[in-house]
Amino acid sequence: MAARTQAPTPSNHCCRWACWGAAAVLVVFLLWAVARFTSDAPVTYANGEDHFKYGSTGGERSSGIPYSIWMALPELFPRYLPGKGLQSLGFLYEPGRDLPIGVSKRKVMGIDRVFLNCAVCHVGSVRDGPDGAPRFITGMPSNTVDLQGFQRFLSAVALDKDFTGDRIAAVIEGMGTDDWLNRELIRYLGVDLMRDQLLTLRQMFTFMDDEPVFGPGRFDTFNPPKVLLNFRMDNLPVAERIGVCNFPSIWHQRQREGMELHWDGNNTSVDERNRSAAFGTGALPPTLDRPSIRRTEDWLLDAAPPPYPYPIDAALSMKGKPIYAEYCARCHGASGTDFTGELVGKVTPIDAIGTDRHRLDSYSFALCVNQGQLYAAYPAERFQHFRKTNGYANQPLDGLWLRSPYLHNGSVPSLRDLLEPASRRPASFYRGYDVYDPKNVGFVSTVAGEHGKAFFPFDTTLPGNGNHGHEGRYYGTELSDDKKQALLEFLKTF
Amino acid sequence: MHLYRCARWLILLAAIVCFALVFGWYKFFREVPQPAFANEGERFKYGSIGAENARGIPYWIWLVLPRVFPDLMPGPGGYKSFGIVWEPGQEIPVGFSKRTIGFPRIANNCAICHVGTWRAGESDLPHVVIGAPAHTSNLQSMIRFLINCAADPRFNADTLLGQIERETEFSLVDKLIYRFALIPLTRSALQKQATQMAWMNRPDWPNWGTGRDDPMNLTKYFMTSQPVDNTVGQSDFPSVWNLKIRKGDGLFLNWSCDTPAVRSVLIDSALGLGAAPDPTVPLDTLNWRLSRRAWFVARMAELDEYLSALAPPSYPFPVDAPLAAQGRQVYAKACASCHEPGQPYTSRLIPVADVGTDRNRMDSWNQAAADQANQKVLEIGIVRPGLVKQEGYQSPPLDGLWMRAPYLHNGSVPTLRDLMAPMDRRPKAFYRGYDVYDPADVGFVTAGAAAERDGWKEDTSVRGNGNQGHLYGTELPAQDKNALLEYLKTL
Repeated sequence: MAARTQAPTPSNHCCRWACWGAAAVLVVFLLWAVARFTSDAPVTYANGEDHFKYGSTGGERSSGIPYSIWMALPELFPRYLPGKGLQSLGFLYEPGRDLPIGVSKRKVMGIDRVFLNCAVCHVGSVRDGPDGAPRFITGMPSNTVDLQGFQRFLSAVALDKDFTGDRIAAVIEGMGTDDWLNRELIRYLGVDLMRDQLLTLRQMFTFMDDEPVFGPGRFDTFNPPKVLLNFRMDNLPVAERIGVCNFPSIWHQRQREGMELHWDGNNTSVDERNRSAAFGTGALPPTLDRPSIRRTEDWLLDAAPPPYPYPIDAALSMKGKPIYAEYCARCHGASGTDFTGELVGKVTPIDAIGTDRHRLDSYSFALCVNQGQLYAAYPAERFQHFRKTNGYANQPLDGLWLRSPYLHNGSVPSLRDLLEPASRRPASFYRGYDVYDPKNVGFVSTVAGEHGKAFFPFDTTLPGNGNHGHEGRYYGTELSDDKKQALLEFLKTF
Repeated sequence: MHLYRCARWLILLAAIVCFALVFGWYKFFREVPQPAFANEGERFKYGSIGAENARGIPYWIWLVLPRVFPDLMPGPGGYKSFGIVWEPGQEIPVGFSKRTIGFPRIANNCAICHVGTWRAGESDLPHVVIGAPAHTSNLQSMIRFLINCAADPRFNADTLLGQIERETEFSLVDKLIYRFALIPLTRSALQKQATQMAWMNRPDWPNWGTGRDDPMNLTKYFMTSQPVDNTVGQSDFPSVWNLKIRKGDGLFLNWSCDTPAVRSVLIDSALGLGAAPDPTVPLDTLNWRLSRRAWFVARMAELDEYLSALAPPSYPFPVDAPLAAQGRQVYAKACASCHEPGQPYTSRLIPVADVGTDRNRMDSWNQAAADQANQKVLEIGIVRPGLVKQEGYQSPPLDGLWMRAPYLHNGSVPTLRDLMAPMDRRPKAFYRGYDVYDPADVGFVTAGAAAERDGWKEDTSVRGNGNQGHLYGTELPAQDKNALLEYLKTL
């Protein structure tokens, strides 16, 4: 009170200015801190295809791995990788990029974070020969990425005593990828948080250890949603426990709207199917980046596969056309672009198609009804179309040449093999090689390794890996060799 | 001057109070009507009967409980693991209603006990039958789950909100409301229920299992001040279709003819499910008097109208028509006098000495409880023909009989074929709650690995589960039994 009546003195003036100054600095600091720690900005791409390959689904918000840690892990823990870098797990790197296809980046709370997006499972690689350069093809099933291997790599890292803040921070300092503040945050907080998260995930996904090893190009689609809903996996009925299947191609989505989607045809809504898959990229209902995923969805509506790049015998292919029309078109569509056909996109009962039933059985009625609660907070997006079916859906065959190995579990290496009865299909072969075999139409499956990289030996006798079914009179396996050859030639035009 | 200042403060205070009242009303009491239902059947399955006010669980808490406490559940599958009916694409199972009263709440309706399913085989999908006994639902197991959740230290704001925020974004205000009000209040409400339900958790006490509850003990302990006694009265959920043939002078409903009128059954069951006002909350009682009671009475009238006209389901498998025609003659002679609507003994009391079935259900009810319950209903302003106490069992009409397995009031006989067998040939124990149908014996499949996985073992040697009595027709010649069985499929 006394100060009020006192005349201002020079020292008082000074004090006041100092106070104002301090306040201003504080305000600026606060603004900076708020801006930094509330930041939420994905790396964006002008081109639709790049957005598909590298754009964010929002998954980094809750599941993101700090970019610096992502970069440091293969350097620090090469002992848990089959070869050098994540390339050795089949991740595809385009020239000049530090992140592989299928990994997106977003700055969340001031730290660049990365996580998987759709492209990790839906971009593949093709080479004409062992010396050819790889062509990365968007929308085709990933034929090289070993996601289970990646998951196991992260689990091994989380358990390793060298996965410490100090070690990681030292590597980050060397890389110069993060500033001092982030480095210290990662050192004292980030690594511990990530370890907890990874160990929780590891615990939740132990059920996968009882399945046959997935290998490249495959994953279990419908047991993870049970984990998402915290079902007791140890109590799961035995019949549900193996759900491993091939990644599908995802072109021409506009024409697929209303079809029975997923291998077992359990959903007829493209949007729901996409949001369901987005859980796999870490995007939860509150964290899904809606505009971004909408852009990807729109891009996929009319995305098309590249034409078969090798010579086609036109005359032979013309001979195959009527055979296709007679045997295949009713279930698989008139051509690679015209999907009309009485049974296209519909489920064929398991007893009729006779393929391995594990994937079908892994999707349960109990899961189906519980999925009705996903996105409950967002009524327009809530899942309403999941159904339990009793078979596998008939797929259109666009880009068929790129979808090897065949059947839902990828148990038949080439189209030529698929036209043989199960007894004459290879009982074991190798997956993960991206060199193409135009003679049999499929990827080369008889080579065990290349340049020190071992390919994945696929054993069709393991549960879930059966290569039976889709055979018999109605499935073309009893055609004459000439007719098979003609049909094979025609299928190259898809 | 002083007065002026005072007035200013008063106005400010009044404004704050007004805001608090409006805010409190909006966040806790604002009633949002449910979206319209496509038809009365949908409304029966998912529509409110008014139980959300007094017994509604905050929706988001209800949603995440199976995810937070999977170890307390009977198996994987969320609420489905209690055997309740859940249609694909639906946000909530049948028999649940979601309604916003301040915040979204979930409660049960009639369909929780009165919608059932059947399947033709293991790979078939469930066919949902409105009005059928919910023979797959283990309500006791679900009640115990909720109680066990509330007793668990993980039932706290951090854990529940952590799970809830994986599903929805809460505003800061809602987060605080959940943290400091709804989560603790829900927990204490469930803990209170644990005390109220302690009688059914006595050691070695018979379980309800699937498709059953203990209706008169529930009524006794929730609606009256009768002391906890030694009786058990577990009995099957009845079918509730075609109520029109159950109306008339001198006709009774409920297994022991405890109720003399259809409307009374509807009202008492709905009140028991939570539609009654909470006497410990004066505001709820006020709300009941001012508006909810009128709504409730009107809703009961609509339900009465709907269920009276609801047709029983017809038998979905082939019927041998000539054989059924023969069976009709057998039925006319052996069954009609007690089971054909309009006949002298149908929907009436058969003394327990005559029918000879397990008497526990009958003994679980008494006159004093009936009087008190009637008084309670009258006190909340509802006039209806009251509950009574009788010594015997009701002889019900047999409409939709095929979907009402297992048979007798306690579901102690799995199939109609077994019911025609003499006492010593009826199964001593079997699995109930599996919904694959057995057209050969007319009832659900009660043996085999799948029935054991999905079902619950009913042991007829347990008190209240006795499969004795109703020996009518058990001495018919085999061919008459076959013919009768065929005819009963057509009812």
